[in-house]
Parts: sequence; structure tokens; C-alpha cells
Amino acid sequence: MMRFYLQKIVFYVVALWAAVTLNFLIPRLMPGNPVDVMIAKMGAAGQPVTPGTRHALEVELGGSGGSLLHQYGAYIVNLMHGNLGISLTDYPEKVTTVIGQALPWTIALVGLATIISFILGVGLGMLAGWKRGSWLDNLIPVTTMFQAVPYFWLALILVLVLTRVVPLFPYAGGYDVASTTPGLSLGFIGSAIYHGFLPALTIVISSIGGWMLGMRNMMVSTLSEDYIVTAEAKGLNPRRVRMTYAARNAVLPSLSGFAISLGFVVAGSIVTEQVFSYPGIGQLLFTAVSNDDYALMQGVFLVISLSVLAANLVVDVLYGLIDPRTRARS
Amino acid sequence: MSSHSTRRRLGVVMIAAAAAAALALSGCSSNSGSGKSSGSSSVTIFNGQVGNFTENFNPLNPTGAYLQPTNGVIYEPLFYYNKARAEKPVPLLGTSYSWNDDGTQLTVKVRQGVKWSNGSAETADDVVFSLNLISNNAALNTTGVGWVAKKTTDDTVVITFPTTAFTLEPQVLGNEPIVPESVWKSISDPTKVTNDKPVGTGPYELKSFTPQSFVLKKNPNYWGTGSSAPKVDEIRYVSLANADAATSALEAGQVDYMGAFLPTLKSIIAKHKNLSYTNSPQATTSLFTCENVDLGCTGPQTDPAVRQALYYAMDRTQLDRQAAAGFSSPASPTLLLNTVNKSQIIDPKNLEVPQRADVSRAKRILEADGWKLGSNGYYSKDGQELDLSINVVSGWTDYDTICQLLQGQFKAAGIKLAVNQMAQNAWSQAETTGKFQLSMNSINMGVSSNPYYQYNNYLSSLATAKVGDSATTNTSRYSNSIVDAAIKTLATTNDPSTQEAAYKTIQDQIVKDMPYIPVYVNSALAEYNNTRATGWPTQDNQYAFPLPWGGNWGVGIVLKTIRPVSK
Amino acid sequence: MASTLAADETAPAQASSGRRSIARLLPSRSPKLVVGLIIAGVIILWGIVGPLVVGDPHAISTNAFAPPGPAHWLGTTQTGEDVWTQVAYGTRGSLIIGFTVGILATVLSAFFGVLGAYLGGALDEGFALITNVALVIPGIPLVIVIGNYVPTNQRGLLLIALVLAITSWAGSARVLRAVTLSIRSRDYVAASRVSGEKTWRILVVEILPNLIPVMASQFVFAIIFAILGEAGLSFLGLGASNTFTLGTILFQAYNDLALTQGAWWWFVPPGLVIALFGAALSLINFSIDEIINPKLRNQTRSARKAWGLTDEQIRLLEKEDIK
Repeated sequence: MMRFYLQKIVFYVVALWAAVTLNFLIPRLMPGNPVDVMIAKMGAAGQPVTPGTRHALEVELGGSGGSLLHQYGAYIVNLMHGNLGISLTDYPEKVTTVIGQALPWTIALVGLATIISFILGVGLGMLAGWKRGSWLDNLIPVTTMFQAVPYFWLALILVLVLTRVVPLFPYAGGYDVASTTPGLSLGFIGSAIYHGFLPALTIVISSIGGWMLGMRNMMVSTLSEDYIVTAEAKGLNPRRVRMTYAARNAVLPSLSGFAISLGFVVAGSIVTEQVFSYPGIGQLLFTAVSNDDYALMQGVFLVISLSVLAANLVVDVLYGLIDPRTRARS
Repeated sequence: MSSHSTRRRLGVVMIAAAAAAALALSGCSSNSGSGKSSGSSSVTIFNGQVGNFTENFNPLNPTGAYLQPTNGVIYEPLFYYNKARAEKPVPLLGTSYSWNDDGTQLTVKVRQGVKWSNGSAETADDVVFSLNLISNNAALNTTGVGWVAKKTTDDTVVITFPTTAFTLEPQVLGNEPIVPESVWKSISDPTKVTNDKPVGTGPYELKSFTPQSFVLKKNPNYWGTGSSAPKVDEIRYVSLANADAATSALEAGQVDYMGAFLPTLKSIIAKHKNLSYTNSPQATTSLFTCENVDLGCTGPQTDPAVRQALYYAMDRTQLDRQAAAGFSSPASPTLLLNTVNKSQIIDPKNLEVPQRADVSRAKRILEADGWKLGSNGYYSKDGQELDLSINVVSGWTDYDTICQLLQGQFKAAGIKLAVNQMAQNAWSQAETTGKFQLSMNSINMGVSSNPYYQYNNYLSSLATAKVGDSATTNTSRYSNSIVDAAIKTLATTNDPSTQEAAYKTIQDQIVKDMPYIPVYVNSALAEYNNTRATGWPTQDNQYAFPLPWGGNWGVGIVLKTIRPVSK
Repeated sequence: MASTLAADETAPAQASSGRRSIARLLPSRSPKLVVGLIIAGVIILWGIVGPLVVGDPHAISTNAFAPPGPAHWLGTTQTGEDVWTQVAYGTRGSLIIGFTVGILATVLSAFFGVLGAYLGGALDEGFALITNVALVIPGIPLVIVIGNYVPTNQRGLLLIALVLAITSWAGSARVLRAVTLSIRSRDYVAASRVSGEKTWRILVVEILPNLIPVMASQFVFAIIFAILGEAGLSFLGLGASNTFTLGTILFQAYNDLALTQGAWWWFVPPGLVIALFGAALSLINFSIDEIINPKLRNQTRSARKAWGLTDEQIRLLEKEDIK
């Protein structure tokens, strides 16, 4: 038992190191430099750009200097101090501040929508697998079709219908900026839920089919295992057979997938947030990438990597609890 | 956990969410009917911000990351240079100025009786401090020239330059913010602060801030009186999604002032009588060509005849209609605007580019240069096919559309064009380092409408570099000693006839060499709602450059000119 | 596998009389499979033949935003290009991406997921590490990095496919690993190991068949996800350049505000093709599962009704099936 967890810890430390190193390298392999991008941006926004502008920006932003190895050392040291550097897009704001502003929106919207979708999908998939051929089972091709629709396509059409043709929902944003201010007020929370409803709905609609199908198939496979037959033959309560014997084993692959998708809440929110202009971290990453904002990119990557690794760790531990076979091997 | 309880719990969640939504819905609809409360007047601006606002009101931020109202609304320069029309600079914190004969000394009269928003007096010392702060800081000084400002009397400041500096006038007088010495003298690195409690002289001051919206209120100490005093109580800035969200907000009356390209604007205006718009075309959309073989450019576009052929093969009427929704205006081959710069375009036949394609002329130019039409419909010369590629930023819709249309238009003239849609950073790197054949970009005006800035930025040999190195602003690698000499003349003279001669020299050269092939002058649309406030700029009366973009000092002028509509 | 096939032959014939003639030609009795195969077949055929019969997808005209009509079956774009023509080319592009990624991702995930988990030890740890690292590489910046090392004019379909495959196999590998770990500790696997069967034989004969439903479903979904992933990348402006895929058409339409300007015929069809193809693959997937995995093949209530059994008999059968 101890050895199992020790192994896991060593493993995650190595994975974390690899992720952090990749985060360091990827932005440095990217083309362009921030000064060029800044100048192109200023030009496009009608601000005067002169040869002197370039010089001034180079003085201000400078090169990070030193060899790659030297930069790497500095990066790791800064990381340990929780210092993620300064954002170029929002110069001279700290990366931690910028991310801190965006993260809650993403976690609240995409995180909750993912959890709702998983619970609903696995629950329905279990029932569909249990009651083969029922209306629920026949619904699966339909929900699967929704999953095969390009997410943004579905979302944009829903947006068109539900905000323009039948104006039920606001088009975009996190809350009604004109009449509420963020805080623990009923007005603000109501407004935030109201604004988040449509994006959340699109996420659930487009992702629930996968959970349903996966769970249903595993459920059906599991139901014909010998131990289920035995349990049935012994006359156990069907609900007990379904939940404790079948569902518990059938849910394992889905759980693994759930960890991955939870970890990717942050990374996967890019498209959603682009469609709905939601003020979250996906939009931040997109801005950072298109502005060559290395520090901000690294900060967002770090959040992504950490969340993926943490989600996997949690599931590994859970797996050990749910499925003793996993930890009881050679 | 049983599936039943799971399902029941989710049902509860869904119902709660729906109820909250309904609640918000009803709350929202009752709000929007009554408008803003308490009888104070307010207008809402969308300045193009997508995502969160990051609090930054530092007018000296060298990356332009300060929020829009910083320059012009909260802080003011000495004079305002209006790029939207040809006129004398508008006095703000300065009242008048004069140059000495050789252009090395600029004497400025400073307005008296001005107060900072915190109530203390603004004096000539603040002006001297601000100008010297910029001059002495390499990261702030975009001119590359150091100057020294000195107070000679209580209302006079003299700025001394090392060399003739007529051309620095709009930068120093019109593009440098005056900041309070009492606040900034204790800041060790002015580029690194976010200045979240700004103290300025402008018509408005910061009231409250959240990452999604912030509010400015009237500056009670503002120096202007009567028509130049702010009249609307509060200004709210909001961030919106994109053109779609902006369209919705404009139509729903949620935004009073914004600057966004809306292809359906004409039909929106027709539907809503309270809306109006202005179009202030400024940037000349052009095909930038890497044209200089000596600096390492390669490809058919290095042949001036090919560039001329491209110039004539374009059907600009189609480009205007299908890429610019009919909002662009005709460009001039001199790269100047034939509106504000009309008097500086010397040869009248250079006022406007041809609007229709002249395919036979394009073909004649190519054939006279030795190109032969092949059986595949494309020209070739010495075994090299007339096959060009153009770089364009993927997602810059109008540019993308232009490239697609040009592909078809050039084909008719026997010229093959491949379109490379790329990410912005890759596109910008390709252009600055010269690793491109054609690049979709635009010629932008400098700090004022003085043609010197455009010519110096885009044509001077000093602003370019060989292929592989970063060119500062002249990315076509154009290098012509005649043009260089004329630019130098422009930099050192204030004499209209000498200037005119220099303009003519430059214009004759570039119309022949065509390093940038003009397409059209791109629209710059600003939209207004006249329900809550009036006095916005109109097409015929652009008393300030109206686009609510970052770095546009004119927004301050607009906001103090508008007045609330009495209910 | 042998037992599976035998079970197939003895299974009662499909009953729905209207579809009997078509169904007889196919290896299964499922109407789902027939419908799925027909839709997918038509779309694949269209992807192959379509571009040969339509005109130049780049041909512009001044007839912008024309609604569907006899001249342009699906209307025109902002630059007056024919949407029908573009969808034909786009379908081909998306299919190439889908199948390339499907094959690559399945091979990669099986290699890293199954082999490591079965052999165990340091190899398993190593493979699991690679899998987890691959999971945390942020895909989109990686696309930009790779894209920029390749000249723009060569940044075509295959490159995007490669990038999608590299960033999409790891999730499947993790699932496969978990299932393999669970299977390899079962008694019958232990028994064959004790009886001295060769490793590869245990892997292929004892373990792989149990993984096939999972892998088949992963392959089909890899195709769908690749097509969707490409569409998503294109939506962010990071798709293949200078080629048509359904994603790039959607990107163009979205960017040119097709929906806002009422030009639904430019935005709806490409998404619909993707949705139809995805639905067809899902239907096929259901049937594949049933063919290769007897456990999934217990007859449904509606099928039994069609055999002409009484309700009483159906209830009896259902009891046998353990529902």
C-alpha cells in the first residue's frame, strides 16, 4: 500500500518537472518577438509608430538576457517563489494578478458545466445500459449526434436563436456590467448565473453524449460478467446488483476520462470563451499566444498543467480505493 | 449514491438555475426600462476592449497598455492635433507656441489657473518636469532626440533641441501627457507603475473600477468653462465580445459611443433613428512589397513593372463593396490622404488610384518588360512564372477577403497569387525581417497629419534593414537616395515652398517605384446614440478624431463637448 | 474471436421486413448499422467524387451573399464563391484529417496503453510517464510552434492531422491502460500465464478481444474528434492554410459575420455535414460493438417484438438477459 502511493508521488514529481520544462521551452520556440507584435498592435489601433517607438520598446522590454540555461534557472527559482513575471499585454501588471482575475470565471462556468454533464451523462448511461432497448437507450444515438456537432457551430446557432430570434438570454459577458457590481449580492450572482446559463447549456449538450455512450457500453459489458450472473442467481436485490456490482466496475474508464476532462477545463475553455466572450482564462491564453506574451502564456500553461496533474492524482488515489486490483499488482 | 438521488438533486439544481435566470430576466427587463437612476446623466463607451480590463492609468506606459481614457480624458497634452481635418492645433494646457528660425527652440505659453483633479495647482513647473522626465528616459522617449525644457517666466516654457526639430513639434506638444510633479517625482521607474489613482487635468477623473467595467466622473476642478467644460456627469467604459455583441448593444441602446466596424451599419442606422455614425478613413490599406534586391528581397515583385501591373489589375470597386462593405474611400498613389492632405499632393493626377481594373494596361506593362503569357494563362519570364504569395493575418476579415478577391482579379491579368493566412505574430515577424513577397498591411499616419511622418517611416533608408534583420518601420526595404534627401529637407525646413518641392520629388519617385501598392483608405467607423447625449461628431464636423481607441487624445475633446439630453 | 463469429451465425435473422433485403448483404442485422453505413458512405463518396465534378472553389464573383437557388445550390459567400463547391472540397479535407488521425491515435494509444500495462514494471512506468506528459502539453501553442517551423505554403492537412494525433492519443491510452490493468489480474489470464502461454499470445488472444469494444469506440471517436478538433483549431484561426476543410469554411463564414448578415447557407451546411458524418459513425460504432462483443448483443425489446413473440415471452427473455 505505502509503496503504491510512494511510487505515485515520485511519478507525479517527475511529470510535473517535465511539464514545467516544456512550459519553459514552448514559448521560446515560438516565432516573433513581443516588440514586433506590440508595434503591429499599436499601428492597427491608430497609435503613432516611429522608428523611435521600436527603440523605446526595446529599452523597456529588453531581452530576458543570458543563455537558455541561465534563463531556465531563473525561471525555476522564480516559480518556486510564486513569481510568474510581468504580463506584456497588460504591462506592467503581474501575471498572477491577471490570471487571478480570469480563473474564477472559467472554473465556475466550465468546471460546473463539466461536472453536471458527467454526473448526468454517467447516470443516464448506466440506466440505458441496465435497461437495454428502452427509450433512454434509443436516445443515445441522438445525444451522440450532438457530440459530433462542432461545438462552436452549435453554440453560435443556439446563440443566434436564443439571443436574437427569441431574445431569452444575453449575448455575452460574465454579468450585467451596467446594473450590478461583483460581490456577494443576490443581484450579481443572479446576473452571473443568467449570463452563464447559455454557455453552460451548450457545454452540457455537446458533451453529455460521450459520457452516456461510454458508461452504457461498459455497463452492458460488465452486466454479462460471471460475478453479476452469480449475484443475480443468488437473488440479490437488483438495485444492489446494479449499483454495487455493475456500475461500480463499469464507471472506472469514465472516471479516468472525467479526470482528464476536469484537468482540461482550463485549456478546453478557449473555444467556449471565444464564442461567448466570457472573461475567463481561455480568452487570456488566446490573447497571450497572439501577443507573444511569454510570461502570461507560461502562467496559463502552468495552471493547465497543474490542474491536469492534480485531477489525475486525485483519480489515481480514488482508483486505488474503488478498484483494489489496480494497486495489487506485482 | 443511487442514480435516483443523483437525478433528483440535479433536477433541483436545474430548477434553481432556471429560477435564478427568470429572476435575473425579470430584474433586467425592469431595469432597462427605467434607465440610469437618480437623475444624473451618464454615457457608456465601448472602446474595443475584449475580456477583462486590467487597471492601468499610467499615461507614460510605453507599451500602450493603459486604458483608453488615460490619454485625453484624464491626462492632457499641451495642444491637441486633430488628424481628422486640416486645422491649427487646439490649445489645451498650452495657449500658444512659437519656433525660433533654425528650429532649435520652441517657446510655449502655459495656461494659467489650471488645477489637478486633487485640487492643487498645475504650473509651468509641472510642464517642465513632465517634458524632461520623458526626454531623460530612453524607454519613454520615442523620438530618439533629447531636449531640455526650462521655465523662463511663470507662464513660459522654452524647449531647446540639439538640432533642427520642427518635425518633433506634434510629438512634444501633442503627444506627451503633462503629469503632476508632486506625484511622479517620487516614482523611481515611471514605466513600471499602474497608477491606479490617477491625478490629471482632464475633464474626467476615475470614480470606480472593476475588471469588467469602470466609471469616470466629472472633474470638478476642470479649467474649461462654458462649451469646453464637461457636461455629462458620468462616463462608463464596458468590455464587449466582438462585432456581434457590439451590434446588439448598440441596437439595444446599451452603448452610446463606440468604434467598431459593423458591415451592417447602414441598415442598423436606417432602423434606429437615434443612432448616427462617422467615418474617418485614415489608414491606407496596401500591399507591402519586399522590393529591394540589394537588401536581399527575392521574387517577381522586385520587378517594378510587376508592381505597376498589380496596381492596375486591381478592381478596387469590387474590393470596396465586398471587403469594406462600401465604407472605404479612394486612396492616393502618393500614400497621403486625399482629404486632409489634399493640398500636399502636388500632381493632381496622383489624387486618386484607378477604381476599376485595367487588365489590358496591366498586361501591356508586363509585356513591355519582357514577360510572356504562357499556355496556362500565367505570365513568365526567363523560365520564372509570375507566381506571387501574399501574407495576411488569419482572422483580419477585411484583409482576408481582399486577398481572396485579388487572387481572382490577378488571375485575369495572368498573375498567379497564393494567399498565406497566418497567425499575427508570424505575419508580423515575416514582414519585419523581410521574409515575404507581398504582405497585407496599412500605411498609418504619424503623430499628426504632416506627411513627413508617413514618408519618414515608410520610405526612409534609415528606417529599414537588410532581409533577415528587423526593419523598424520601412518593411518594403525601399531605399532611394533622392527620396532620402527630400525627407531630410522636410525635417529641417518650415518653408512651405521648400516643403512642396520635396513632396513633389518624393511623390514622383514612389508613384514610379510603387514599393507599397495602395488598395483603399480603410474605414474607421464610430457609432453614437443620441438618446442620452447629443453633440457627437458628425461626418461634416469632426471637431476631434472620434474613434474611442487607446492613445486617441481626441476622445477627451468629444466627451467634454457632448451634452446630456434633458428628459 | 471464434466464439464471437459462431454466435453471429446462430443469431436469429433481423426481422424488420422492409429492410431485410439490404440487411442480408451486411454482416449484421442492425438497422443502425445500415443507416450509419449509408450516410457515412454517401459522405465519403461525396468527399472523393465531389471535388472532381464541381468547379473551382476559389472562383469569385460580384454576386455576394446570394441565397440558395438554381445557379448556386447552397448560395454564395461574401466574395461570391459557390458554397456547394467549397463544401465538396471541405468534406474531402476533413475526411483526410479524420482518418489519418483516427489511425495514428489508435496505434499510439494501443502501443502506450496496452503494452505498458500488460508488461508492467519500469516499462509501464515509463510509458505512463510519457502518456501523462503528453496529456499536459498545451495543444494549441504546440500547433503554432510546429506550424511556424513549416513554411506556410506547406502547412496543409497532413501537418494538422499529425499535430492532432500527437495531442489526442494520450487520453485513450490512459483508459486502455486502466482497463488492461483490470483485465490482466483476472483469473483466466493468470491461468493461461501459469499454463505457459507466450506473452504475445496472451496479449492477442486473451486480452485484446476484451479491449476491442473500447478501442473500436476510441477509433471512431478519434475520427470524429479529429474532424471536430480541426474545426475548432480553424475557428481560432489556427487551421490548415490554403486548403479547404469544413472547419476553414466555418471559420471564414463566422469571421465574415455570415450569421449576423443572414447568410445561414454559408454557415449551416458545413456543420451539418460534420454532424451527419459524426452521427453515422456513432451508429456504425454501436453495431461494431455488438458484432465483436457478444455481451453488447442481447436483443432489444423492439427486436423481439418483431419476432412475433408474446409479451409474456419477452418478459421471460428479459429476465434471462439480466435486463
